[in-house]
Amino acid sequence: MMPVPSLDVAAGAVAQPKRSDAAFKLSVGFLALPIALFLTIFFFYPAVQILMFSFMTQDSKGITGLPLTFSHYTHFFTVDLYARVFWNTLRISLTTSVIAILLGYPVAIVMLRSNPFVARTITMIIIAPLIVSVVVRSYGWQLVLANGPAGVLNWILMGLGITSTPLTLLYSETAVVIGSLHVFFPMMVLPLASALGKIDRNLEDAARTLGAPWWRVFGRITFPLSIPGLIAGFTLVFSLTAGSFVTPVILGGTSVIMLGNLIEQQIFVVYDWPFGATIAVVLVGVVIAINALSTRLLQARKLRRVAP
Amino acid sequence: MNERLNGVAAWILYAIAAAVMVFILLPLAVVVASSFSNTYIVTFPPKGFTFNWYVKVLGDSEFQSALKLSLLLAFGSTVGALLLGVPAAIALTRARFRGLQVLQDLVLSPLIFPALVTGLALLQVLNRMGSGNVMVNLLIGHIVVTAPYVMRTVITSLQLVDLNLEDAARTLGASRMRTFWKVTMPQIAPGVAAGALFAFMVSFDNVPVSLWLADAQYTPVPLLLMHQLVNVFDPSIPAMSTIVIVLALGGTLLLERLVGMRRAVAI
Repeated sequence: MMPVPSLDVAAGAVAQPKRSDAAFKLSVGFLALPIALFLTIFFFYPAVQILMFSFMTQDSKGITGLPLTFSHYTHFFTVDLYARVFWNTLRISLTTSVIAILLGYPVAIVMLRSNPFVARTITMIIIAPLIVSVVVRSYGWQLVLANGPAGVLNWILMGLGITSTPLTLLYSETAVVIGSLHVFFPMMVLPLASALGKIDRNLEDAARTLGAPWWRVFGRITFPLSIPGLIAGFTLVFSLTAGSFVTPVILGGTSVIMLGNLIEQQIFVVYDWPFGATIAVVLVGVVIAINALSTRLLQARKLRRVAP
Repeated sequence: MNERLNGVAAWILYAIAAAVMVFILLPLAVVVASSFSNTYIVTFPPKGFTFNWYVKVLGDSEFQSALKLSLLLAFGSTVGALLLGVPAAIALTRARFRGLQVLQDLVLSPLIFPALVTGLALLQVLNRMGSGNVMVNLLIGHIVVTAPYVMRTVITSLQLVDLNLEDAARTLGASRMRTFWKVTMPQIAPGVAAGALFAFMVSFDNVPVSLWLADAQYTPVPLLLMHQLVNVFDPSIPAMSTIVIVLALGGTLLLERLVGMRRAVAI
């Protein structure tokens, strides 16, 4: 049993933490030391190594070292085959993110504003697949989009008489975009829903009371106030799609190659470490650029709102 | 609430939302339906009904060892992620010193870093260290990926803790340790549980890191599935996929019961 402290002791106890507070706030920081060490050895150091590899040369024995060179980068951007993979990756990521935005708004709005049962069901349906393996989800699309009459989509379309010849969708860029959209859609809806949820309903009500039609309420109030969620979602979907590997392998086959697949080929098939590292650095560069851009956009927005 | 959404615009919204739900569920439903097909190759529509493919998959020694490896790996990396992540989350929310924000951005950075590159970089360093133990390598790689998830959910929970309660306990003479275990911990427990479960799922589904670190002897389930997709065409693939879906669904329900999905994902 803890003794009940007398008033004097209690007063001392109040003063005590105050004096040791600064020391505590510094020392509790040491709890972050293990993860900092772990990530330094197994994440930051390896990442720096990859960056260095991209400037090194590999000799005939497969040993990477000096002399330093910039040639892998010029090689990457000047050889048509590689440059095309780069632009393909950007195009697929952009298309996926834009479609995710267009579909994300209706879904997020219905999720927030319909009755609790519908809202809960939609939330579950959006989030549950997030935990199902990307391999399984891409495989599901492989079955749906399969070329020839045995593909689920072709079976439905032909059964309904919409087309008489089966569509050829699998192993195309469209298939990769569909698969990526399925895999990363939650990353758009969730930030959008949380931004939309923070909007003061009175603003929309006021606009409506003053006679604004729904599209003007959306255009002038709902949409502008949801932009932080939009930017967060866009950044997530774009970076994740750009770095994907599984979906293009399963749905793009040999005809749609993205940066991730190119890295794997260079390391496992060609054994060209410096060039594989170069492509990896390019991929990281794309992801960092898109994150930096979104941070700047959000900051610019904040500044504008502070200014009169 | 309902009167907010009405008129033609509302019906269009509902129609789009419904179409998106079909879009999300369709490929999963097709996989599950195909797994019961009594045919030697996957066809649509599936013909007949049989559990034979499940019998085949569950009896397959390759699948058994992959499943064992995946579960062990997910369990090990979750424990590792908790041991490293929870103390770090406490440090990042309770400490005050210069550079704290930078430190937080750094330890959470594996979340936005392309995992494929994380795995590749790790492979290169582990090779040079001469670390030939595939299981240890996989474990390290998975902890790098899962620990930031744990940190993120636990940081969120710690930020929601009522600091007045901690102050009250301290004022009443409780030590910092006692305050943590008796006052703080009960408040963040759901967050820690959600982080742990999420870390488990992330590890269980991981391909981009395992891809580099696994070998023919140690192949986790998602990698095995990916290899088999290319050369096996019978319904054992959908059966194996369905087992993965069922495991994920179990995890989802558990998360929903523990904390609610939205909070668990912390996006």
